Amino acid sequence: MAQFVAFIKGPMVWIAFGVFFAGLIIQGWRFFTMSRKKDPAYIPGTEKKKKKKKKKKSKKTKAKKKKPKTIMDRLQPLIAFADKRWDNLENSMFRIHPLVSVVTIIFHVFLFVIPILLLAHNELFRAAFGFSLPSLSDQTTDMMTIIFLLCGGFFLFRRIFVRRVRAITTWWDFVMLAVTLTPFITGFMAFRQWGDYPTVMLVHMISGELMLILIPFTKLGHMIYFFLYRVLIGSEYSFGQGKRAW
Amino acid sequence: MSTQVNREQIKGMLKAHKPRMKRYLSHCMHCSLCAESCFLYMKNDKDPRYMPSYKVLNSLGKLYRKGGRVDRAFLEDIKEIVWKNCVLCKRCYCPVGVDIPAMIAFARSICRSQGVHPDEEQSWL
Repeated sequence: MAQFVAFIKGPMVWIAFGVFFAGLIIQGWRFFTMSRKKDPAYIPGTEKKKKKKKKKKSKKTKAKKKKPKTIMDRLQPLIAFADKRWDNLENSMFRIHPLVSVVTIIFHVFLFVIPILLLAHNELFRAAFGFSLPSLSDQTTDMMTIIFLLCGGFFLFRRIFVRRVRAITTWWDFVMLAVTLTPFITGFMAFRQWGDYPTVMLVHMISGELMLILIPFTKLGHMIYFFLYRVLIGSEYSFGQGKRAW
Repeated sequence: MSTQVNREQIKGMLKAHKPRMKRYLSHCMHCSLCAESCFLYMKNDKDPRYMPSYKVLNSLGKLYRKGGRVDRAFLEDIKEIVWKNCVLCKRCYCPVGVDIPAMIAFARSICRSQGVHPDEEQSWL
């Protein structure tokens, strides 16, 4: 048992991180090799270029005729951009599902922030590498964990009680939710010294390592594919120009 | 119409698009947030069967899960999903970015390759 614990504490951590980063790189590489072809049907970028050219022309003629630009004039494109973004936001998921949108954003931000900026993790990080990232106080991360777990509870509630979500829910969705929440539940328990501390810590480490290993190869892969898929979409939701095709 | 389906042809089609479609299917988070983007869902008393994700998971999703080992009765079942319950207007929106219309269109192609498609007399076309 002592050997098993030592393995989980030591080599397994490196294996998990290795698989996690290698998996992310492989998935990213696979995506870009598979989608090297450009989609000729709809290229939003070309429209923008045309518009820009027109704007440039009109600006030039104005500049010849009239006074120099004020600060507000210079800020105008930025304001127009923000306006457009706001319009998009108005027509987005925030309007249709405000609660789910807010909960999901908090959930995903905390999912990253809590483990990375946790004081205890950073101490381990310092022990391993000799330096550490900035960390939040224990009270702050404790409160954040409670909020995170409530958000997770909200997703579980939706899966069980909301008809439309239940219609497409499979047992695997519950497994994925459990994989995501277990490290946080056990970490929370360990911090409060609830239950048998060594066992709780062992479950905490195993579940955390399991989550890291599963991220690139399962549903949790949306961590990277969320950004990649949006390079494909030729619309206002795209992160790029939406040119890529499979 | 023959009662047999060419399973090898279906398997071949599924295999040709596997990297893309399997990724789409596995990255669908089953969140149901695509529902409101479908006008058929909205106009059918928010029946979950009209949700874009439901339609994809119960057509192409099942085809992949069965690995193409399907019979004509199965294709007849999903015919209604991919033709009647979806008009392929491409307005469905997935927060993760999954291309739902591409999957429905692919499921239609598979059905069509086996001669499973709506008849002219069918009133819903």
